[in-house]
Amino acid sequence: MSNFFIDLVGSTDEARREFETSSKVLDIVANGLPLTRYQNLLLELYHVVWHFNPTCAAAAARMTDAHQSIRYFLYDHMKEEKGHEEWVLNDLAVVGVTADRAKSYKPSLVLLGLNGYNYWSADRRHPCSVLGMIYALEVVASVYGGPMTSAITDSLLLEGDRGITFISSHATMDAEHMVELRVILNQIEDEAAKQAVVESTIFNFHQFGRVLELI
Amino acid sequence: MNEIANGLLPTVLSRPYRYVKLEWNADFSMLTVRMGVRPIQCYSLAAMAELQQVFNDITANPGLVRHFVMASDVVGVFNFGGDLSLFVLLVRAHDLDSLRLYARRCIDLVWWWENAATLGVHTTALVQGDALGGGLESALLHHTVICERGAQAGFPEVLFNLFPGMGGWNLAIRRGGFSVANDLILSGQIYTADQLFRRGLVDMVVEDGEAPAALERMVHAMEPRFRGTIAALQARRVAAPISHEMLQTIVDHWAVTALSLNTRDMRLMERLARAQVRKVGGASEGAVEEIKRMELDTAWGFERTGVSEWATLE
Repeated sequence: MSNFFIDLVGSTDEARREFETSSKVLDIVANGLPLTRYQNLLLELYHVVWHFNPTCAAAAARMTDAHQSIRYFLYDHMKEEKGHEEWVLNDLAVVGVTADRAKSYKPSLVLLGLNGYNYWSADRRHPCSVLGMIYALEVVASVYGGPMTSAITDSLLLEGDRGITFISSHATMDAEHMVELRVILNQIEDEAAKQAVVESTIFNFHQFGRVLELI
Repeated sequence: MNEIANGLLPTVLSRPYRYVKLEWNADFSMLTVRMGVRPIQCYSLAAMAELQQVFNDITANPGLVRHFVMASDVVGVFNFGGDLSLFVLLVRAHDLDSLRLYARRCIDLVWWWENAATLGVHTTALVQGDALGGGLESALLHHTVICERGAQAGFPEVLFNLFPGMGGWNLAIRRGGFSVANDLILSGQIYTADQLFRRGLVDMVVEDGEAPAALERMVHAMEPRFRGTIAALQARRVAAPISHEMLQTIVDHWAVTALSLNTRDMRLMERLARAQVRKVGGASEGAVEEIKRMELDTAWGFERTGVSEWATLE
């Protein structure tokens, strides 16, 4: 078993900190969001979540038996993430956005770039790159999701988890996912797969940070 | 800018750095390293790698640097220590190996500081702002600690069920004695510069903005007795030894302890980080004030109601 998780944390730490120290991200963590910007965040998130499982499926479909354990991990992961776009729709409904509007919302070009890269990378670069997408999104959720939840709840005077179930539940749930992800990442031995995961992680941190800047 | 920090950097020390700024004074062979990890000044992996490179360059060129000065490039903050987000990430991933790796990289830096006298280097920390956790550890590592009056410092780790693992115990005991170290580490309390001085934890307290001038006076005064000072500091290491094995044992214990942090503990860490982010954004209060609130709440909230606000966080 390799120690790729350590290498991944180290080689993408700058990208993680770039995300964390973006002025807009800092502002969200410190002061939360006004209603319109929170609606925009959820609308963008809806399209991240909608494409999450199809991207995983595209990657799984291209994985040979050399990465069988990763393929099986993706099957399980997709099952867990299934239907989570509905959670975003529920939160949107609480803050006054209908499901129809969410489904017809045109995501930002930055988000289209993020989703486009993840499909392309799984298809043409290396199917294991999908683990970079998962890692980046789970770090965002489990490390920053908690403080963002508190700040947004405070700024919008939300009651309990109402209107913020997607972000708050992923802040907790993805903590468990991180353990599983570490175990699977440590099974990657080949350099091409490792490089693809690192590149994908850096790109996902970068692009997700830009999404938060745009909302 | 400090009058004596005005020279061109020797070529062997000149590298493109992102998180450290180097200033050179040829008259005293003095290298000042100003760390600037923005917006939250901490020991990130990249900043530590740059600092290690500076140390490697000093070690590879014996005799070049006689005075090493650690300062901050961030107003009001010396250093807040560990990268809290990275800790949260690694704890959530239940990744003992990575926590150990981070901790051992810290210990590599600690060990260079600890051995600086054997390289003929005198080290000084210019504490011109708040120093928390690993930030205070890194200040105490220096042969001389000059602290400005407005600075505050402490080891808040115990408040979220951790302890300073990168030499904090050894350095606090060496400087202030066992009782002071106990109080400093087990209380989680934040001390003013004067309180630190009274406990022997810092060598000098000066008015705000006067640390560079105090440094200049100290270096001038030390010049005629520099070799004797270095020899004495080498002997001090024998008299009050800190071994690499000891540091490593403690840091491994720290990593295992960090892994046992629960949701409440991590929320407290996040809360401190969030307070600091607010201060960076212009709010009047930051992590230090948040810690003081936590101390007060622990002491009085529990006294009054039997329930601490922090204890209810789950």
